[in-house]
Amino acid sequence: MFEQILNAAINGILLGGVLALLAFGLNLIFGVVKIIHMAYGQFVMLGLYLIYVLTMQVHLPLVLSALIAVFAMAILGLLTQLLVIGPLLEAPRLNQLLALAGLIIVFENLAMVIWGADYRGIPLYLPILKIGNFFIRGSCLFAFLGALITLGLLYLFLNKTYIGLAIRATAQDTEIVKLMGVNSRSVYFITLAAGGALTGIVAAFFTPIYTVHPHFGSSFTIMAFIIVVLGGMGNLLGGFISAFIIGVVTSVSAVLTTTEIADIIALLIFILVMLVRPQGLLGTRGI
Amino acid sequence: MRSPLNIKRGPILLTVILGCLILFPVFSPSPYLIHIITLIFIWSYVSTAWSYMGRFGLVSLGHGAFLGTGAYITALLFNFFNLSPWIGMLIGASGAVFLAAVLGYACFRSGIIGDYFALVTLAVGELVALSIIAMREITGGSLGFTLRSLGNSPLYFQFGSKVYFYYISLLFLLFALYLWKRIDKSKMQKALKAIGEDEVAASSVGINIIRHKMAIFIISAFLTGIGGVLYAQYITYLNPHTLSGVTVSLAIPFKAILGGMFNIWGPAIGTAMIVSLEEYIRVSYGTKFVGVSEVVYGIALITLIIFLPKGLYGTVLEIFHKRQRSAETIT
Repeated sequence: MFEQILNAAINGILLGGVLALLAFGLNLIFGVVKIIHMAYGQFVMLGLYLIYVLTMQVHLPLVLSALIAVFAMAILGLLTQLLVIGPLLEAPRLNQLLALAGLIIVFENLAMVIWGADYRGIPLYLPILKIGNFFIRGSCLFAFLGALITLGLLYLFLNKTYIGLAIRATAQDTEIVKLMGVNSRSVYFITLAAGGALTGIVAAFFTPIYTVHPHFGSSFTIMAFIIVVLGGMGNLLGGFISAFIIGVVTSVSAVLTTTEIADIIALLIFILVMLVRPQGLLGTRGI
Repeated sequence: MRSPLNIKRGPILLTVILGCLILFPVFSPSPYLIHIITLIFIWSYVSTAWSYMGRFGLVSLGHGAFLGTGAYITALLFNFFNLSPWIGMLIGASGAVFLAAVLGYACFRSGIIGDYFALVTLAVGELVALSIIAMREITGGSLGFTLRSLGNSPLYFQFGSKVYFYYISLLFLLFALYLWKRIDKSKMQKALKAIGEDEVAASSVGINIIRHKMAIFIISAFLTGIGGVLYAQYITYLNPHTLSGVTVSLAIPFKAILGGMFNIWGPAIGTAMIVSLEEYIRVSYGTKFVGVSEVVYGIALITLIIFLPKGLYGTVLEIFHKRQRSAETIT
């Protein structure tokens, strides 16, 4: 039993890596545009479908399909900013939230119209590694390493490039940054494109692990929310750490109980954190 | 804000509309039309109850929690213990009130407002849905369950004809609108308005913030819980996805916002608009491809939110007031 729990914990850490990537995008968008992207998980769902179509029906190599998906999701991010978020920047918060929630309805049903309710996946068999007494799925290990590398590149992008500086500055103070000659609108576009591309990357890493269906995204949106709040909204390091905490907690409690109770536990953690420490584990209380 | 309906012609117009609604079933229209209008009444009632707090800046994205709690407690008491839903609904709504009281006290005590309050309530709505699914031995899980049918037995809130539900839900809606008026005339309205505008300033003039917020949250939750029972009795089928969870929790504010949540008629107008739009799209596209109608519906919602940020009724009022003002400046 103990070994089983330990094994679940290891899998949770591996899953946490990919979740950290997902939460990073949500966090970045919240930090910069100050908007809660309700349909973020649905982007991942669309990315998975796109990779599926390109690989299984157009017969492109998997790596190429993944690259196209990343690019397409970036464009979808741009379109979201152009058509939905942009016109609502001055609107009440609730209207922004609901418009993005409207995207959930659009995306999920679009997937339903095009691909139906069936589960679709690419049959990929990565070997299962046996280390000591523990079994680790190769696909999870691959996703974990890939997510860490992507996060490293993102860190460099944010800290070493001019655009990265502009993004971080906008996140800190939108008004002052305008005085410095940064065009905040184009920073928003770049952020949404980067956030979109991230969902494409997450979809690429998810491809060998999950099969996709139209309602695939919602659980990951909620998971990403929980992580972002636990780490402190807008706090990227906090999000990174809490992704692993949530990954381990859900994975271990799923082994001990059922997946629904694991989700309930994650939600309870979320609610408790909101009530007791709304600034998150590492956040400083700004609001 | 004064609505055009309140100026002299208001009472007459209202009486005419109400009279039409009361007499409407007498002309034996198609049962389909009665069904749609009954749904509009039920959801108008719920979105009005939501707006009680929404209009003071207490935006809940988890009213599905109260809808689900009320409906499930009542229906389970009926199915297992044969308790009449008329009595059961008070117990069910008390369950919703209990949930709101715990949640509200915890939130308001630690100063959770705005986005944070919205997210906490969203999580609670999902939590209730998941709990209903997890208790599948008694609730039927995601498959839901059907109410025991007794035929026509008014004592058990079951009727042979849909027309009864039409009148009952109209009565509930009228009650919710009446309560809105009562709240508007009370001291609570002024206090909540002040809290909604600036919490710190409100508390500095001695307004008890937690008590007032708790009060309006509990009233809203109670009515919403009853709304869940109303819907479940009418449809005679309970499902965690239609009564609780994210989808329905977001659908309620959608209706209120698109009508205009700051005015008493806003939520009802928004509901009438959304439900008719939903039905219209479903009838015209739904039969060809599954899902197309929802895609069109989603796009329509987003478009409406972008172009009518104050809601349909709110925008109409604004145009009306602008015209009035410009007329005044000319004379």
